Amino acid sequence: MIGTFGRLWYWILTTLMVALAVVWLLPAVWVVVTSLKLTENIVRVPPEWIPWPATLEHYGEVLFSSSRTARIGRAFLNSTVVSLGSVAVVLLTSAMAAYPLARMRFRGRGLVFGLLVGSLMIPNAVILVPQYVLVQRLGWLSTYQGLIVPEAAMTFAFGVFLLRQFFLTIPAELEDAARIDGAGPWQIFTRILLPLSQPVLGALAIFAFRSAWNDFLWPLIAVNKPDMFPLPVALALLRGAYAAESYGPIMAGAALSALPLLIVFLVANRRIVEGVRVSALKG
Amino acid sequence: MGPRRARRRGALTPYLFLAPGLVLFAAFRVYPLLEGLWLSFTNARLGRAQQTFVGVANYSRLLDDTRFHASLLNTAYYTIASTLPILAVPLVLAIALNRGVALRTFLRGAFFFPFTLSVVTVGLTWLWLLDPVIGPSTYYLRALGVPVRSWLADPATAMWGIILTSVWWVTGYYLVIYLAGLQDIPRELYESAALDGASGWRSFWAITLPLLRPVFLFVLVTHIIGSFQIFGQVFILTNGGPGDATRTVVQHLYETAFQNFFHFGSATAMAWVLFLVILAFSLVQFRLLRGHTQY
Repeated sequence: MIGTFGRLWYWILTTLMVALAVVWLLPAVWVVVTSLKLTENIVRVPPEWIPWPATLEHYGEVLFSSSRTARIGRAFLNSTVVSLGSVAVVLLTSAMAAYPLARMRFRGRGLVFGLLVGSLMIPNAVILVPQYVLVQRLGWLSTYQGLIVPEAAMTFAFGVFLLRQFFLTIPAELEDAARIDGAGPWQIFTRILLPLSQPVLGALAIFAFRSAWNDFLWPLIAVNKPDMFPLPVALALLRGAYAAESYGPIMAGAALSALPLLIVFLVANRRIVEGVRVSALKG
Repeated sequence: MGPRRARRRGALTPYLFLAPGLVLFAAFRVYPLLEGLWLSFTNARLGRAQQTFVGVANYSRLLDDTRFHASLLNTAYYTIASTLPILAVPLVLAIALNRGVALRTFLRGAFFFPFTLSVVTVGLTWLWLLDPVIGPSTYYLRALGVPVRSWLADPATAMWGIILTSVWWVTGYYLVIYLAGLQDIPRELYESAALDGASGWRSFWAITLPLLRPVFLFVLVTHIIGSFQIFGQVFILTNGGPGDATRTVVQHLYETAFQNFFHFGSATAMAWVLFLVILAFSLVQFRLLRGHTQY
C-alpha cells in the first residue's frame, strides 16, 4: 500500500519537475527560435514556436557583415583569446601558489593565506576605477593583456583556495617517496601533484573560463575600440543597433555567445556541478 | 654547493612558488583597493594627470547627491526583495530533486543552464520576452486575462522585471549548492526520526532546516554581496529608468566615472561607501547565522 503510494508520488513529482524544467528552458528556446525566423515572422502574433521557413541570415549578418556595430565573429575571437589566456594565467599562478601553502612551512604562510581568503570578500565594483587608472597607466586599454590579466587576478585567490584544499587531501607519502629518489620541489609539483589534481584543475579551468567569457563591466570600460570588444560588450551594442526594427540579429548573437559554454556544459556537466559544490561547501 | 647554501635555497623555495601569483594579486587586487581609497579623498578625474587632496569633500558631496540616495535605496530594495525568492526557489527545487525523481541529471542541468549565460545574454532574452508589444509573455498573459502593461517602463514594476531575470539566471547555481548540502545530511537522522514517529514535515523543520544553516549562510552572503553590485541586468533591461526607478549604485558609479562626469574622486567614494555597507551586512549575517551546526 505504502509502496504503491510511494511509486505514484514518485511519478507525480517527476512529471511536475519535468514540466517545470521545460518552462524554465522556454526563454532560451525562444531565443533560438527567434534567431532562425524570417524578419517578417518575428513579430507575428500569436507567437509561433516553430521557425518555418527557417533562415540563417541573422547569423550571417551579425557574424560577418554587419556594418552598424562590432562584428560578432570578431568579438567571438576576442572572447576566446581573452578567456583562454585568463584560464592559463589562473591555472599556473594559483597552482604554484597553492603548493607551498598546502605543503611547506614558512614564515608568513598564515598571513598570505588569510589575505587571499579575505580578498574574496572584496567586491569587484570597488576596485573598478583604480584598476582602470592602473591599466591606463600601463598602456593596456583596448588590449588583450588589459583584459586577461585583470580577469585572471579576479579568479586567482579563489583558485588558490580551491587547489590548496585539494592538495591537502593528497597523501604526503607519495612526495616523501619521490624526495628519497632525489626529486626536488619543482619535480614533485609537476610530476606528482599536478597529474593527481587533474579533476580539480579541470573544474577551476571551467570556472575561470566562464567568469572571463561572461564578464561585462570590466571590458565595458577597459575597451573602447570596436575591434577589441569581447562578446558581452558587442552584444550589448547590438541591442542599440537593432532593437527598434528586429530582434533577429540580437537573438542570433545571444545564441552564438552561449554556444561554447553550452558545449562545455553538455560534455562536463558532472564536473561543473562538482566544482560548484566543492567551491561553496568547503568555504 | 655547500649544505648551508642548499638550506638557504630551500628556505626560498616557497616564496619562489608564491611569487608570480602574489605579484598578480598585489598589483591588481591590493594596490587598486588602496589606490581607490586614496582617490576618494582627491579631485581625480579621467585625463587629469595630477590630483589634489580634497579631504572628505567627495564623501560630503554624496550626502547631497539625491541620485546617489535613490540608487542606494534602489539597490537595497532590489537586494531585500530578491532575497526571499533567491533563498526559497532553489531550495524548493533542490528538495524536490533530492526526494528521488527520474531524470535527475537532466533536471538539474535544465535549471543550471541559464547560469552558464552572460548577464548580457540573459538581459537581452528577457528584454525580448517582456517586450510590451511583441513579446510572447505579453500575448500569453493577455490570453489569460491578466492586464498587460509595459513592465519595464512602469516604475512600479520595472524592478520586479529585473528580479525575475536574476532569479532565472542564478537559481541553478544555488540549487546545486543546496543539493550538495542536502546530500551531506546523514540519512540515519531521518530514519531514527521516522522511528520516533516524526512526520515528514516535522523532520524537515527539526533536521533539514537546522542542518542546512551553513548552506543558508553561504547562499545569503553570496547573494547579498552580488546584489549590492548589480549592474548588468539594469544596464541592459532599463538603463536605470524609468526616471531613476531602477538606477543602482554601480550603475550610478559607472555613469559618474565613465559616462557623464568622469569624476573618479566621487566614484571611488561611492565605491567605498558601498564596500562598507556590504561589509556591515556580511558581518551581521555571520553573527546571526553562525552558531550551532553540530549534529
